[in-house]
Amino acid sequence: MIKLQDVTKEYKIDGDETVFTALKNINLLIKDGEFAAIMGPSGSGKSTLMHIIGLLDNSTSGQILIDGKDISTLNDDQLSKLRNEFVGFVFQQFNLINKLTIMENIILPTVYAIKKMDFDPEERAMELINRFGLAGKENSYPNKISGGQQQRVAIARALIMKPKLILADEPTGNLDTKTGDTIMKLFKELNVEDKITVIIVTHEADIASKTGRIIKIIDGKLV
Amino acid sequence: MRNYLFFIVKSSLFDLARNKGRTFLTSLGILIGVMSVVLLMATGLGLKRYIQDQLESLGANLIFAIPGSKKSIMRGGGMMGGIKFDDKDVTKIKRISTVAVVAPVYVNPGTIIEANGKDDIVELVASTEQVVPVFNLEIEIGRLLEKKDNDKRSKVVNISATTAKTFFGTVDEALNKTLKISKQNFKIIGIIKSKGGGGLGGSGIDSHIYIPFKSAYSFNPDKKYYAIYVKAESKDKVAETKSEFEKVLLKRYDKDDFSVMEQSEIMDTISAIFGVINIVLISIAAISLVVGGIGIMNIMYVSVTERIKEIGIRRAIGAYRKDILWQFLTMSTILSLFGGLVGLALAFIIVYLIHPIFPAYIDLTSVTLALGVSSLIGIVFGVFPAKKAADLSPIDAIRYE
Repeated sequence: MIKLQDVTKEYKIDGDETVFTALKNINLLIKDGEFAAIMGPSGSGKSTLMHIIGLLDNSTSGQILIDGKDISTLNDDQLSKLRNEFVGFVFQQFNLINKLTIMENIILPTVYAIKKMDFDPEERAMELINRFGLAGKENSYPNKISGGQQQRVAIARALIMKPKLILADEPTGNLDTKTGDTIMKLFKELNVEDKITVIIVTHEADIASKTGRIIKIIDGKLV
Repeated sequence: MRNYLFFIVKSSLFDLARNKGRTFLTSLGILIGVMSVVLLMATGLGLKRYIQDQLESLGANLIFAIPGSKKSIMRGGGMMGGIKFDDKDVTKIKRISTVAVVAPVYVNPGTIIEANGKDDIVELVASTEQVVPVFNLEIEIGRLLEKKDNDKRSKVVNISATTAKTFFGTVDEALNKTLKISKQNFKIIGIIKSKGGGGLGGSGIDSHIYIPFKSAYSFNPDKKYYAIYVKAESKDKVAETKSEFEKVLLKRYDKDDFSVMEQSEIMDTISAIFGVINIVLISIAAISLVVGGIGIMNIMYVSVTERIKEIGIRRAIGAYRKDILWQFLTMSTILSLFGGLVGLALAFIIVYLIHPIFPAYIDLTSVTLALGVSSLIGIVFGVFPAKKAADLSPIDAIRYE
């Protein structure tokens, strides 16, 4: 369960006295097992909201509670641990590491893991590779496969640590409609079958409509 | 943790391999630094070994008295002037119970010799037949100096195989030929086995020529000795012999007028002098290591900037600050160690190539030091860039384009 209470995010713009408010008094509750979309036009603050939920960014004020725990009290190492174990990120530009193979990209989060894992990283990666139709590509490098395949690798990487939450920032933005639909079906499947909370950030209404709940954001405020 | 090392090393190697030219140029500073330091150490060691070999070829248990105080000898002034020894000294020294052999010598290091239309400057050693056991002379062909040569003031000479070959081509050719020593004719009655280790300007043991003491009166008109060499009965009698030797001489001379030394002392003196010179040279060479380190630091900053996005991705999937720190430290250490290894390899090749003319050698300490220092440079100069990378905020890094 993720709970945001009165979360505000402000940026100071360099060389300017004015303060830009990206998020204003956000109150939001996302329950375990939800499939939700954060939707808004560009510049609405939806990415900032996702970054805050994903523990990449911190809020200026307000409280963020993950399973009842206030994350503002956590230090950098504890946040790294949560990012590693609790969240899986999927980005618009896939953000794979080009010098690592598909297999290495997928198991990379396990390399940084501190907790003892109840699975063998390579076995689990192989399962995900087979499940996502990437069999035979495990030793290829990311720039040698298609965009749709890269995004599936990114999802496999997000899943390797068995996270409770998947955060996807415009995951279909760099893909054609057909490939985008496949990726969305995959997220649905993860939500229904794997019981993972999935939050998708998008500006497209038809993408948002494929989720169970649409959270609209305009000018940093939920509407 | 199973794959951790594999991942950070693979990432580093990949990044270094992608910019081969840059990697090579950056490690060049360390390469040159390590090579110079190792070569200087090898030269120092070679010099020490060379001198040691020369002294040891004289035989063990050797003690000698020369004019001048130890201080002036260390300043290089002992060779000139001062007192000379005579037969009274020799007689008294012979009475010391632990003395096995006494060889008083007259030495002239700047003696011109001529033969077969060639000439050279050598060190003339004029002594009794006792010089043979003192200097461990061994005959190759002909015969060594004997008592009768001295008694008869025969104009005979022993030269080394090296000198014989220089003048006559072979040792057989040289035997019984005439050698002009300062314009006087001497007959070559025997060729001494070479001790080897020459090549340092030819001033080694092999350039010595030996004639009977009494045959050298025309070069040494006051008939005195420049030095007295003594061989103790055994190694454990060296100290006792030396102190008796000193007591005998103190009865006639002032303590600052002469020095009694044993081989290990000359060794220590020479080692100390070369040690200081070597440390100074190595320190100068070490400056290039620091310059190389700065080059690494510079390139690491560039590398961090180039990979901000990658750092962001790694942080987003759960990399800790220390993971990023280790990744960049590994990269800078590999870069520096690479330079160190290549520098070391080049030093080995150079030492191998010059070995026939100079016995330089690389010991385990040099290797350990070279690799240790180059790793250390990688860590020290990599730590600031690595810290910069680790301290990037995850959100700024992942947003970076």
